[in-house]
Amino acid sequence: MLRLLQRFQALDRRWVFLGMAISILVPLLYPVSFSFKVDERVRSLYDAVEELPAGSTVLVSADFDPASRPELEPFFRANLDHLFRKDVKVVVLSLWEYAPPLVVPILDEIATRDHKEYGKDYVFLGYKPGKELAIKAIGENIPKTFPTDSRGTPIGQIPIMQGFKQARDFPLLINVSAGFPGTREYVLQIQGQYDLRIASACTAVSAPDYIPFYKAGQLVGLSGGMPGSAQYEKLVYPEGPPAGVRLLGMQAINVLNLGHLYIIGLIVLGNLAFFLTRRVET
Amino acid sequence: MEVALTSVDIAGAWVSIFLTLCILSFLYADNPIYKLAEHLFIGVSIGISLTETWYGVFRPNLVDKLLAGNLLSIVPLAMCLMLGMKVVGIFAPAAGKKLGWLARIPIAFVVAAYAGVKLTGEANANLMTQVAQSMPDLHTLWIEHGLWDWSADGAGVISGIFLVVGLSACLLHFYFSSPHGPAMRVVSRFGVLVLMLSFGASFGYTVMGRISLAIGRAQELLGLDRSAAQAAQVHPRIASVLSLVVVVLILVIWRLRERRPQAGA
Repeated sequence: MLRLLQRFQALDRRWVFLGMAISILVPLLYPVSFSFKVDERVRSLYDAVEELPAGSTVLVSADFDPASRPELEPFFRANLDHLFRKDVKVVVLSLWEYAPPLVVPILDEIATRDHKEYGKDYVFLGYKPGKELAIKAIGENIPKTFPTDSRGTPIGQIPIMQGFKQARDFPLLINVSAGFPGTREYVLQIQGQYDLRIASACTAVSAPDYIPFYKAGQLVGLSGGMPGSAQYEKLVYPEGPPAGVRLLGMQAINVLNLGHLYIIGLIVLGNLAFFLTRRVET
Repeated sequence: MEVALTSVDIAGAWVSIFLTLCILSFLYADNPIYKLAEHLFIGVSIGISLTETWYGVFRPNLVDKLLAGNLLSIVPLAMCLMLGMKVVGIFAPAAGKKLGWLARIPIAFVVAAYAGVKLTGEANANLMTQVAQSMPDLHTLWIEHGLWDWSADGAGVISGIFLVVGLSACLLHFYFSSPHGPAMRVVSRFGVLVLMLSFGASFGYTVMGRISLAIGRAQELLGLDRSAAQAAQVHPRIASVLSLVVVVLILVIWRLRERRPQAGA
């Protein structure tokens, strides 16, 4: 046994990678289902959307890239569907240069599915560089910051944008944030100044940094990483996904659980091997 | 009704799968096929950044305004040229030495403006609000949640007290103006434990994020990120198996070539 533990300590790390690959691929091919609960932060986000009256308009800042796609795309999809089904209009913009090629197809796909019309029910204003300065500008004057939408239509000619000049004209700002610039910058630059209601969906790495913002009331809801996305999907689709729709977050959460169990197993085994073999050696 | 994918979409999906496996081959060892994918990724990223910067920043904010006769735009143009003096030094060191100082003016301007923008937000949202929130109202907590509320992720009086005590202990751990006596050492030790807890939570979230990314890639390799109709057009599993075979073959050839003794050695 001790010899086995000693060999385990000198294990080639590539076996660990192979183990991780197996613990991800096998449950994806042969799905298992664990139950999970929705935490209070995600429920608050869901409730913030539920409270919106039909016909209102929200501002969505989609600030993610291909690297953060697995964590944030499931939320973005479920959130858009949630908003459209509640008959809420959506104004989307982005502060990340790699976001538009990801955002536009998703937006068009879900809008088509929910029978929404571009310009009337939703619009994509495009990408704006400038990071925090762009956020400041969104807080002050949206038509000046985005004179046209992503298709080149002057903002004054877009029906959905009539009467919306500043971020505070929107009852809710939803930030899908993969890092900088993102939720932290929205909170620091314009949330307090304009007393905005901001909800955030962020990557797991950022979640511990944003939880204090939620606790302090600077965010009305927070969805962290893939579990947050899965919980939001569970709330939006309590009776399962609509026909032809795959819930990527809920599909992944069970695999994530097994991946965590694998890591925990390695940590326990590694520590056990370290302490037992050290005792024998001394 | 699913829209039929174009041949470009399908080819893009196959290239994406092949490049994913190329990048993952790094887990075996640093190898030429990984390098190829890495260089491709860097090149494409720089290309996108340059295009976005030109069309999103330079053209609308500078070129178009200059062409429209906006004289104020000469100021940012002059700043750009002054900043460029640093680059001049690479090609003409003598001229760079003489004019390099000009770059300091736009850099100072950018630093000052950025500091101004950051300062108010940090002071208001990150300092004042967070300090205020670190002093919980225990009476309200007792009425709303009691001692400990499982349904609200453990909110309650116990959490409120732990927040205050933990925060104070962490701050006192970093108090270096006087030597730490026996009592202070206990408080400091508790502060370290609280810090360790927070680092552990952050590390846990980071691990979760990394596994999520791996799951995302695996979903793409298996075609689980697409609708059934799209997957039937792309055949992602066939693409994955073929790409895996190609990557493994390249790795085998690369290993064999590495083992072969060099000519003249």
